[in-house]
Amino acid sequence: MGDLLKNSIFFSDQQICYADILPPSEVRLRIEVAILSFLKNLSSSTPSVSDLPLISRKRSNSRVSRGLLTENARIFLSDSFSMKSLMNENSANSLIRVWKVMEMCYQILGQEKKVTQRELFYKLLSVSPQYFTSQLQANRSIQDLVALLRCSRYSLGIMATSRGVVAGRLMLQEPNRDVIDCSVCGSSGHAISGDLNLLENLIMKSDARYIIVVEKHAVFQRLAEDRLFNQIPCILITAKGYPDIGTRFLLHRMSREFPQLPILALVDWNPAGLAILCTFKYGSVTMGLEAYRYACNVKWLGLRKDDINQLIPEESLIPLKPRDHQIAKSLETSEILQDTYKEELAAMIQSGCRAEIEALYFNGYDFLGKYIGKKIVQGSYI
Amino acid sequence: MAVNSVEDILNLLISSAFRRCRMLDDLCRLSVSLKPTRPSVLISVSDTGTGNILEEFSELEYKNNRILSGKWDGLLSVMTTSSSDKEIHHLKFDLKEVVASRRLVRLPSVTKSGAKFSGTEVSLSLYEEIDGLVTMLHLYLQKILLLKAFVSSDKLFTFPMFHKIAIELIVESGGGTKSFFLQNACSTPATNAVNSYNLTLGLEEYVSKHGNKLTEACHSCFSTGKNLKVGTGVACSKENHQNSGQVMEVVIIISNMSMLDQSSCSRLYGRRTEVLYFNDFSPCSMPQSSLEALNSIDWKNYGLVLKSVGDLDGITILDTLPCSHSNRTDRYLTRKALKLALSDLKKRNTGTLLSERAVKICNYAPDLAKTISGLIMSSLDLNFKRECFSLLGLPSPECEKDIVENCIKDKIVSVIATNDSGRRGTKEAPALFEQGPKKAFQGVGEYFDTS
Repeated sequence: MGDLLKNSIFFSDQQICYADILPPSEVRLRIEVAILSFLKNLSSSTPSVSDLPLISRKRSNSRVSRGLLTENARIFLSDSFSMKSLMNENSANSLIRVWKVMEMCYQILGQEKKVTQRELFYKLLSVSPQYFTSQLQANRSIQDLVALLRCSRYSLGIMATSRGVVAGRLMLQEPNRDVIDCSVCGSSGHAISGDLNLLENLIMKSDARYIIVVEKHAVFQRLAEDRLFNQIPCILITAKGYPDIGTRFLLHRMSREFPQLPILALVDWNPAGLAILCTFKYGSVTMGLEAYRYACNVKWLGLRKDDINQLIPEESLIPLKPRDHQIAKSLETSEILQDTYKEELAAMIQSGCRAEIEALYFNGYDFLGKYIGKKIVQGSYI
Repeated sequence: MAVNSVEDILNLLISSAFRRCRMLDDLCRLSVSLKPTRPSVLISVSDTGTGNILEEFSELEYKNNRILSGKWDGLLSVMTTSSSDKEIHHLKFDLKEVVASRRLVRLPSVTKSGAKFSGTEVSLSLYEEIDGLVTMLHLYLQKILLLKAFVSSDKLFTFPMFHKIAIELIVESGGGTKSFFLQNACSTPATNAVNSYNLTLGLEEYVSKHGNKLTEACHSCFSTGKNLKVGTGVACSKENHQNSGQVMEVVIIISNMSMLDQSSCSRLYGRRTEVLYFNDFSPCSMPQSSLEALNSIDWKNYGLVLKSVGDLDGITILDTLPCSHSNRTDRYLTRKALKLALSDLKKRNTGTLLSERAVKICNYAPDLAKTISGLIMSSLDLNFKRECFSLLGLPSPECEKDIVENCIKDKIVSVIATNDSGRRGTKEAPALFEQGPKKAFQGVGEYFDTS
């Protein structure tokens, strides 16, 4: 009962913590409130250096929100904090980093500009090389700032670069620009912009019946080259691995624009494949503050355990690696995973093997398209 | 009490004279005089303290070692009287005498002719170089002076309530008498002068004289006054049936200038720290238990590294001859008093003796200050800037960035220093948004005039 309550939409939405999408002037105001609060604490009668309360991006602070009438579920972050304190040797460095990123964003917002994470990283590197030694560190500090100010990365003036591409029966048009026909973009597809504002304002048209999310770029290229969308009216989309926010944003936009289209995922039969699918489907803990809202009701088309038994030759199976087990373990303990997914995962671990989508080529290059068609016709997706 | 060397016997005689002076609730004088009577030197230690000291001498044990036997015949000539005595007793001790009953010989007493006074004079002859003896006595008296239990002659009557002992060293040579009247100007004493207060004054003087100048402070090092940081600590053990209660007092002094820069000044122990130890008001070597206490202090909490006791960064211990026994109470008291003194010094001098951890955190202060001031200065909102400056207590928004930055940095450093109590994570700082960010951001538009 407790769990049910915790996860019901009535209860959980009260604790939901998310990043607002705000205009620059309001983000600047939030930063100014932060500065004043810092100075107030520093100059009070019992002076102190303020701790930074960041929404915890740990699994323990994640909750699941399930719709009452739909199958949709998503992960969001609740309101427990992780504190960054100057007085703690371990967090002092990252506290400074958060303030440094804030300073940089404040300036960018003042100029009403947008920068990429990469640009921001090099700017930070040039000003304070001792604090920023890797892009990863900068990215983490940006997420920290998002968790502090509770506004999206995009609101902070940071553009995400997107790796995603889209192809198939989709017409895209930026306001006052030419229409882009994604069916004639060739095998490499049309690159998805990282500018969320631009994505939000795209005008979309489509006569597709399905949206197919593909894990791997190589598989995407094969399907685009084979012009799968001519045989099956569909839109193909890939994030080339774990999805970035731009790709997820576009997929979510499409699902709102064309709510009747089922979204089907084609991923490797391994824990990482499932994890990628789950990120599209439920959102992720690490990006929970701003990405929870882009959860889409993705269905698992393949590869699944039945395919492995029937279609994949034994010599194409690869033993699971420690990293696979690690991901599997984290998925197993996730309360959001639906039962059919758990069964698939258990089968993976039991067999001790994994299989790549490309293993289907064993049955001929054109088999992949046939395989997808057959699955769709049979309604074999979970 | 065993006597092994010339130094032992002289130290013993002086410290017991000093003790007799302390026991008398009045002004006293302690004189040590040396007179060459070739081939030996006649030394007399006299004091105007309480008399009657027979027990002290009966406890003495003469160790018949070769070094001492060539230098001293074991004879002590003693004149002593207490204020209630009608005459001055004259005694002779032969410490070499094996039969205990024959050690003490009473010589004819001298009448006091009705006068009322007390005092003692002990003399002995030593076969030693007089110069060596003078140096040795100098050093020893120097340490006793630390106790600040004396006052210069012209102050005697200014502070009659102030229990004081004047100390002099008289050296008679062929040409005449050279007298070192060891006096110094006295700072205003507290009326109920506690020992640690005296000790503090004494140590301050000792440091300002580099421990080796007798009369004046070193002018080149202390031209702008005594720039010293002081901390004191007192620990007591309760009296019970096992022991009679002890008090341990610790005074720590740090002098600010780099002694090594002053090439003209010689300091006995360079940059190392001297530890002076007194037991019952007499300078002595540090007992094992106190040495252990020194070793067991977590010096890192004070930003110090103890290389070794005896020779270590920051600490050199004089006379580190360990005593055989280790006393738990001693160890506990030393440790406690020392920690109290260190904390006291830290409290009184913000930013001094910061722990290793606090120093590390302080290193972040300039960067944090720079970032925050950068944020403030890059704002175009005058109201916001004005509010920031008023919080910082700065006059106007026309301030230079450097001023803002330094002001924030100083505040951060002082917070770190205040919180550096030696215990980890003692005080939790308030979060940036007290009522949670949601509330903080609500109605943020009305906070400033955004129009």
